[in-house]
Amino acid sequence: MRKIISIMMIMLVLVGAVYAGGSSDKSASSQSQSGKTVVNIWTNDRHDAEYLNEKIAEFNASNQDIEIKMTTVVEDYPNMLVMSYTSGNAPDLFYMNARGTGFDLKTFVDAGMLVPYPDSLLNDPDFEKVTDASKHIVEGINAINGVPYAIFSVLRSGTRMIYNMDLLEQAGITELPATLQELVDTAAAVTAAGNGNFYGIATCSSAQFERWLEGICNKSGIYHYDYKNGRFDFSGYAEPIKLAQKFFSDGSMFPGSNTQGVDAMRAQFANGTFAIWGNASQEAGVFTDQFPITEFEWAVGELPSMDGNAYGTVDSRPQKGLHMFSSCKNQDAAWEVVKYLNSEDFVKGYVEHGYALPLSEYMASVVDMSKIGRLADFASVSYEGLYPAVPSVSVAGDPYAVALWNVVVSGGDVDKVIADLNKSYNEALDRDVKIGKVKRLVIKDFNPLDPTAGTAEYLDK
Amino acid sequence: MKNNGRTIRRKKEDGGLAAVLMMSPAVLMLIITSIYPFFWLFRYILYDYNGFTAYFTGLYNIKRMFTDTVFWASVGHTFEYAILKLVITLPLSLLIAVVISKNIPGSSLFRGIFFLPTVISASVYSLIFTFIYAVFRGPLNTMLQSIGLISAPIDWLGDPSWVMISIAIVAVWGGLGNYMVYFLSGLSSISSEIYESSMIDGANARQTFFRITLPMLSPMLKVILLLAITTSFKDYQSILVLTNGGPNNRSHVMFSYIYNLIFSSTSTPQIGYATVLSIMAALIIGAVTALYMVLARKLDDVV
Repeated sequence: MRKIISIMMIMLVLVGAVYAGGSSDKSASSQSQSGKTVVNIWTNDRHDAEYLNEKIAEFNASNQDIEIKMTTVVEDYPNMLVMSYTSGNAPDLFYMNARGTGFDLKTFVDAGMLVPYPDSLLNDPDFEKVTDASKHIVEGINAINGVPYAIFSVLRSGTRMIYNMDLLEQAGITELPATLQELVDTAAAVTAAGNGNFYGIATCSSAQFERWLEGICNKSGIYHYDYKNGRFDFSGYAEPIKLAQKFFSDGSMFPGSNTQGVDAMRAQFANGTFAIWGNASQEAGVFTDQFPITEFEWAVGELPSMDGNAYGTVDSRPQKGLHMFSSCKNQDAAWEVVKYLNSEDFVKGYVEHGYALPLSEYMASVVDMSKIGRLADFASVSYEGLYPAVPSVSVAGDPYAVALWNVVVSGGDVDKVIADLNKSYNEALDRDVKIGKVKRLVIKDFNPLDPTAGTAEYLDK
Repeated sequence: MKNNGRTIRRKKEDGGLAAVLMMSPAVLMLIITSIYPFFWLFRYILYDYNGFTAYFTGLYNIKRMFTDTVFWASVGHTFEYAILKLVITLPLSLLIAVVISKNIPGSSLFRGIFFLPTVISASVYSLIFTFIYAVFRGPLNTMLQSIGLISAPIDWLGDPSWVMISIAIVAVWGGLGNYMVYFLSGLSSISSEIYESSMIDGANARQTFFRITLPMLSPMLKVILLLAITTSFKDYQSILVLTNGGPNNRSHVMFSYIYNLIFSSTSTPQIGYATVLSIMAALIIGAVTALYMVLARKLDDVV
């Protein structure tokens, strides 16, 4: 009998040990040791961690009732958020930038995971002044059916082309390219002048199509979703893709850059081994702190387009949108934290550290622009904005950005790739609408130069 | 009845109950972490599941698998990769193990050097290899050009005709030391007396290797081969870092493709479809392993 009891006790201890790991952090939103209400925040941004930690420490020191705890989760962020929610360990708030990779707001909202922003906050004049919240509510990006689930406070610019002016001069080029054809020619001219020592243009191993070529297409009025008819349409990409194939066939693409990491290529640019690099405003910090450019002059130019004019919007990315999980137990305290992280003092400091551009007109007027350095070169232009989120469908085959870039590199049959994309994306859309996974987004009065102005309709067929 | 009672009692005395109880935590863990997830997979075969909601799609996932050219190409690439890796790694690691087991001066240093990649994470050394493979002034191209082996730099990871070879080189580098250690432990089990008597009989090095070392290593060799085959069919970590399946899906193996369907940053997770592919991949690897087992048994009969 004693043996059986002792065996049972061992079993109990073992089973306890198995379950102990999972249950230790059950109450994510709870009281801290000091009796304060703890508000947990997740972020996937690393570059601004120093500033955020400093400001959070300031808040924690001065606030008697609330304590903010921030956790950085970089890898596989959207999946980690889902897992945290389904396992009951979700943070109260999480940061997500507009069009964050792998994040689909509608899926989160449909699953009942998010709390909409309360009117008390949206009507708060200080909050509106700092964020221009009412002007930046974009369907599918931070709002569903017009109800906002996140408000952004700062902005990463749309893509720009960054030029090594010394190399351009060596190739006898005096004006920055305004059209894609000119960009192709400039890259070829620099490569010829380089004679194997430097090249025209480069890419890297991630987000290749999105990095600058997609922006060039978008500015030319080409987009992959036809909002007026609620269909995918890749036909417009044929011409720019065929032109872009020349970067590779001419040999003006930096050799091997297609498989090198983004930082490796930034280092090459700073080293003066190629002349043209496309990316958004984060490069201001990269080329002043991470890989400082001292040996040559660099300039920031607007994206080229097919004929030099803007017929469509180029995506700029509002940043630092706080979302609240519906599992948050102390919502009042959490909204208090949201207000603090969108306060004038906080955002002003954030911008002046050079992390991002101001989003609201008021903030643009109070920020000391002399402190932001080369970030000023990336200031917003008239044709930058946000497109309403396209239905997130399960496509058979490569995502369009991958398929289009692959054909740019391989020099293959562009028309066939585009026909395949039209087929696979529209089949996926029809199927996903039919099974109730997504709704067809139609904006009958869609204007590519003001994409958020139209009236969004969600259709079941 | 009486007999039965005695049997049961005897079993208890043998510690049967204690054994069951002692095994139960391990069995419980196995069920939770291995068997349950496997059956969990089957639930989503007929669904489009994005991590939140499962939408019933009938047999669509299965139909799609049969027409998915990228997947079937990735099956081909898996075989290409596994064969390239096995054909180079196994003979080479056996050779190194035989040489090192001779205890010539410095052999323990070399043993350490060859084993070193095994303790480094695959993603770390793959990242280092992306720099070694760099086209523009990359160390490998520069070296090959300076000794006159190539006239123009090779795009190791971007050229469809080179990429699998480049990946295989990394795989061989990473796996060599591991298999060398397996072979070394196999070699140490062969009694030195056998070698001594063969030496007295006048056997040369080649005869000793083929007539003594290899046959006596064969039970160990079979296990090593089995391990090598299953791991090389399941490798994908270094491919994700080196090429992420590119260029133009040329280096996608089954599991890198499946991984991208779930964790891709550019599209929504397609867990249902990835499940179907995972089961197909498991079947393919299972078939290869079974085929190997049959062949190994046949070989036993012959030998």
